[in-house]
Amino acid sequence: MHKGYLSLVLHGHLPYVRHPEHEDFLEEDWLYEAITETYVPLILVFERLVNDKVNFRITMTLSPTLISMLSDALLQERYLKHINRLIELAHREIERTRWQPDFHNLALMYLSEFSKARDTFLRYNRNLVNAFKNFQDLGNLEIITCGATHGYFPLMDVHRESVRAQVRVAVSHYESVFGRKPRGIWLPECGYYPGQDEILKEAGIRYFISDSHGVLHGTPRPKYGVFAPVYCKGTGVACFARDLESSKQVWSSIEGYPGDYNYREFYRDIGFDLEYDYIKPYIHPDGVRINTGIKYYRITGSGNNKEAYIPHLAQKKAAEQAGNFMFNRQKQMEYLNDFMQKKPIIISPYDAELFGHWWYEGPMWIEFLIRKIAFDQDEIRLITPSEYLNEFPRNQVITPSMSSWGWKGYSEMWLQGSNDWIYRHLHVASEKMTELAKGYPQVNGLLRRALNQALRELLLAQSSDWAFILGTGTHTEYAMRRTKDHILRFNRLYEEIKSNTVDQDWLADIEYKDNIFPGIDYQAHQ
Amino acid sequence: MVRIKKTKKNILKSPLRKSKKLGALKAGVTQKTEPRKDFIGAQETTVGTAKFSHPEVSRMPRIFPQELPSQYGVDKMVLMVRDPWWLYSYWELKNSTVERLKSELKDEFYRAKRILRVYDVTNIIFNGANANRFFDIQIHEFANNWYIDAGSPGRSWCVDLGLQLSDGRFITILRSNVVQTPLDGPSWITDEEWMIPDDMFARLYGMGFGQGKSSPVGKDWRKRIISSPGIASMASPVKKPQKKGFWLRVDCELIVYGASEPDAKVTVQGKPINLRPDGTFTLRFALPDGKQVIPVKAVSADNAEDRVITPIVTRETR
Repeated sequence: MHKGYLSLVLHGHLPYVRHPEHEDFLEEDWLYEAITETYVPLILVFERLVNDKVNFRITMTLSPTLISMLSDALLQERYLKHINRLIELAHREIERTRWQPDFHNLALMYLSEFSKARDTFLRYNRNLVNAFKNFQDLGNLEIITCGATHGYFPLMDVHRESVRAQVRVAVSHYESVFGRKPRGIWLPECGYYPGQDEILKEAGIRYFISDSHGVLHGTPRPKYGVFAPVYCKGTGVACFARDLESSKQVWSSIEGYPGDYNYREFYRDIGFDLEYDYIKPYIHPDGVRINTGIKYYRITGSGNNKEAYIPHLAQKKAAEQAGNFMFNRQKQMEYLNDFMQKKPIIISPYDAELFGHWWYEGPMWIEFLIRKIAFDQDEIRLITPSEYLNEFPRNQVITPSMSSWGWKGYSEMWLQGSNDWIYRHLHVASEKMTELAKGYPQVNGLLRRALNQALRELLLAQSSDWAFILGTGTHTEYAMRRTKDHILRFNRLYEEIKSNTVDQDWLADIEYKDNIFPGIDYQAHQ
Repeated sequence: MVRIKKTKKNILKSPLRKSKKLGALKAGVTQKTEPRKDFIGAQETTVGTAKFSHPEVSRMPRIFPQELPSQYGVDKMVLMVRDPWWLYSYWELKNSTVERLKSELKDEFYRAKRILRVYDVTNIIFNGANANRFFDIQIHEFANNWYIDAGSPGRSWCVDLGLQLSDGRFITILRSNVVQTPLDGPSWITDEEWMIPDDMFARLYGMGFGQGKSSPVGKDWRKRIISSPGIASMASPVKKPQKKGFWLRVDCELIVYGASEPDAKVTVQGKPINLRPDGTFTLRFALPDGKQVIPVKAVSADNAEDRVITPIVTRETR
């Protein structure tokens, strides 16, 4: 008889990066790398599990910006070009490493992986959203939504109309893609501000995920800590909180799994290591060295000396750590059973891009974990939050506390000296957008296009990713540019709409560049 | 005449209040201690950063968009919550508002102090006069944003930008929205229907934070997340690859090239290779230490003839 539930939540998100105006745009690689290293490997894990009839449940965010990029014909075309180039490089590497058997075997491994990535990509008609939708339709995956462009809600609270637009646009986009409403939402950066659950309720969303202290510091005290959901006072929207013990096992830079010395070293890539003329066709056209994805070394130790990666040792480690993770959850359940009157749920949320991209062995670890849970024990079961709510509909009512899963647990990552200047621009734009939505309740034609584009520009400017990159203080140029571009475009649209002088050519140009959410309705901003 | 002029410097550099906490944070920028302390959000930040790969050297400058407007011609003051202790406010004043104040107050305007009046408005509907308490922060004339050490979590706040006249009168110029800071520990309010003994909650609380089963309520959380000097000294929450000292790396590759009849079958060390349409070929090998014997064999299309040439290369690294 099982003692409790484990809910793995993978948060898949990338900001909208698509530049049709440039032949080759470096930041688009964020998507291509994530496809090859995270999304395809996860899809292959899910496929194997389904083929082997392994019962499993995973909850996964696909942010609206990520879905939009995965479904975009231009980016699909460019990904194919990208993966073909990588396959060519892998072939050359197989030849080049002929006298270095350790590296040679790895080059063969990369060729096989890149070929599988291309095959998988083509098998799903170039649109990997189809793959995730299949697993949702099979009942193995619960796909939840996110803020339309991953805006950080707590710092938008002064203009809740923008929070509402983030949620409404996301929900209608989800419906158009998956044919039903989302049951849950990943609040961008787990950013919760009390009262914003009202907006989730209006949109028909049943639950969201918060960080541990969102519930633990809620009022009144949550009886079961983070091990049962709570309902938000006044709205009844459920809040599931992250269990930090299971998180730390995976995330922690000290005791976390991904730091094992047998695992692949993220920072040694042939894009930086190999002779310039040889690698030049595979790095940035400007000639700037970048990661290619071919990495030959294992972490080895804390020093700079790195040794060759040995796949079967890494695999053994991943299996061992999956067993360790399961064992610890079993212990947690046993302990919790002593003083809970219902079955506990352990929420373990992670950035999806942690798996495969950052932690190369991550997808393998997930597969081992799922198989072990299915076959080696019966104390814990996998569940999705909405299934848990169906089984245990009676839960305590509290007001969760403002919180995020970012640096220090609150808003500082997105509100510090290097990025606080953006809010005076964003907030004025929010205010103007509300004014437009009220002032033009029903228009058609050019004016309507301009109003819809204004909302697109505002949403794109709000992505928390820009503030995040500005906050890290390195390579801020692109984030700065995106913030400015979208705000300036918004401001100009506002002026042209108000004076009824919309420049049709310019509008067409920014519609072409910022083409996200074709079905957007500016009235969502209320 | 004093004019309100917003310079770029004003907007980008926030006048941080000198305080121990932020002082330490700032000092940390130059510290070289290896950031090994674990803290909330550290790995989330690392993984988040890894998503956004960048080249290590900056590339060609791109065309920069024009600058954002330095003001929007509005009177607006916004208050935001950074964390349980700190608030952030920014504001903008119309020139006409400043001019009006000047003409009303005459010389008094120039003698007055610029003040942020921070009201604790917890559990009340604030009407300007009924705050639970307030405190003042004197700011300089050109400031247009401020980090405010509110100092008590779980309270509601409202801020006025105003002038304190020489006779002590306070004139409000702008008033912010109301915000609420979160608690920095568990609530003391319990729910009768969902009662839990304190010691049990303490255990659950510790578990929720991955601190084992016996951590005292609240203490660990505060210690670990906020007041730890290990955190305050973090220059940036991003893990960077270890800084190398001075270094040198050398490796060798070998290029083997040649030509035969375009339709010949050529093998190198027994493995077939492709010729270019003109019959030439180029191979590139990483060259490890030791001796490499590299027989290159060409067989004519009709299998009637063959040639073998065998370069032998030795690499020795000292």
